[in-house]
Amino acid sequence: MAIKRGVSLYSYQQSQFFKKMDWKDQVREVREGLGADGVEIIDEATIRDYPFPSDQFVYEWHNYLARYRCKAITMDVYLDTMQWRDHVMNHEEAAERLKFDIMIAAKLGFRNVRCLCAVPIDVIEMALPTAEKYDVRIGKEIHAPFPIKRYPEGVTREGMGGFPINDRMCEEIMALADKYHTKYVGLVPDFGIFQHSASQPRIDWQKRHCKYPEAIDFIVQNKLNYSVPEMIRLLQEKYPDEEWHARGWTGIQVEGLMQHESSAQPEDLREIVPYIVSMHGKFYQMTEIPGEPGHYEDKAIDYANPIRVLNQEGFEGYIDSEYEGQRDQQDRGIEFLSDEVEEVRRHHEMLQRLFDTMK
Amino acid sequence: MFDNYLIRKDSLENVEENGKITGFKFAVRIADYRGCFLSLHNGYYITVDGTEYPRELQRFEINGKAPRTFEELKTATLEHWNYDDEAYVYVKKDGGLAPGLHKVGLQQSILSQYGYAKHDEEWVKNPPVPGSGDGAGKTFVVCYYDLELQK
Repeated sequence: MAIKRGVSLYSYQQSQFFKKMDWKDQVREVREGLGADGVEIIDEATIRDYPFPSDQFVYEWHNYLARYRCKAITMDVYLDTMQWRDHVMNHEEAAERLKFDIMIAAKLGFRNVRCLCAVPIDVIEMALPTAEKYDVRIGKEIHAPFPIKRYPEGVTREGMGGFPINDRMCEEIMALADKYHTKYVGLVPDFGIFQHSASQPRIDWQKRHCKYPEAIDFIVQNKLNYSVPEMIRLLQEKYPDEEWHARGWTGIQVEGLMQHESSAQPEDLREIVPYIVSMHGKFYQMTEIPGEPGHYEDKAIDYANPIRVLNQEGFEGYIDSEYEGQRDQQDRGIEFLSDEVEEVRRHHEMLQRLFDTMK
Repeated sequence: MFDNYLIRKDSLENVEENGKITGFKFAVRIADYRGCFLSLHNGYYITVDGTEYPRELQRFEINGKAPRTFEELKTATLEHWNYDDEAYVYVKKDGGLAPGLHKVGLQQSILSQYGYAKHDEEWVKNPPVPGSGDGAGKTFVVCYYDLELQK
């Protein structure tokens, strides 16, 4: 037994957008192009007429997975708190949405649903009986900038949504699983938590949209020399004209470009391996390793060390590729769009090589 | 994301109703990697040749139904805009646009979320005004398109 390779069809979002590949072509690529069998989807991207897929869709879904001998691993589900517009969805309603998504996942043969970091633990607890009844595990994603282990005493960080990051998220999930002695709740770590620097496609996008591209180089080259507020102050002094960047100099942009630490450490994985439902293999750009023709790496994300830990701990689940670098290359002509199929193929070369060698 | 591709280049047309030109329309895609419940759609920041056309002048055509205002869409809580689908944005402007090239600026405002956020209660009472970046999906900037009026 070993770690298994899968693909989140999220990776082919651009091909789908331009109608170059529909989900059937994507499933075929997983089997025939990659020799893999794990399929993950975004519910609202792949399921026609979500949340009420037709019987025909369900029939074809099962048929295509059977035709290409693929397995439905994880379905990614969301929490839109503004859905009703006349009030903020309460936790009971959020649990109802999660339960309904679990039922859709079951109908499509998925083993797991991935829910978001920001889903409150009581919402998951309310949906747990439904997960058990339908034999679908709930996996809470560990998405950057969330950590695996809690921060040292006194340290706080702000995350998406404007709330402080709940650095006990993983502890809460493990405690819930232990409380009910159940495997139906667990974690979906995303390799984005091992990203240690800004991706090249992101840096290049920023340069194309900046009046002074050299400022972007300056930020990246000096990320260890200044704090984020210091850097912003420096930039404002150096480039006082306000119109010089499409989005203004918000902290987020500078902070992203200055990234030099990952939000989790590979060793942190050891204690959560028994709770891992499946994993997201986030990546931005696969480039050939110098001196190793045919071998690829993502320069912004550590894969080797986490995979070594996963091998040592006996992880046997799926890592589903999640290509995201296309997004930063869609501001130019068609000829500059990235090749998603090739990127994912390179990612799988790397995954299999690391599975086999990082012991 | 999809910066250059959110509006179909050959889709800008004037709209005729009851023999009168009442505005213009163009075809759009969602600036995200997933579709959304229509109730979450909060309208667009739209400029044409530097003139802004606020949400109140806009309607949205999708799923084979007649164009709806964004107030009407608020109640479409279980109807989905599929990721794959093109929609039309209608903009009210007596007499429509003049023939020739126009510079159209666009930013969507779709209140899709990744769970609870601090602004939730405020957004129920006062939804953000499109163009602020709120709801812009994965396309943070206002995108500009040079479009030729088709008819």
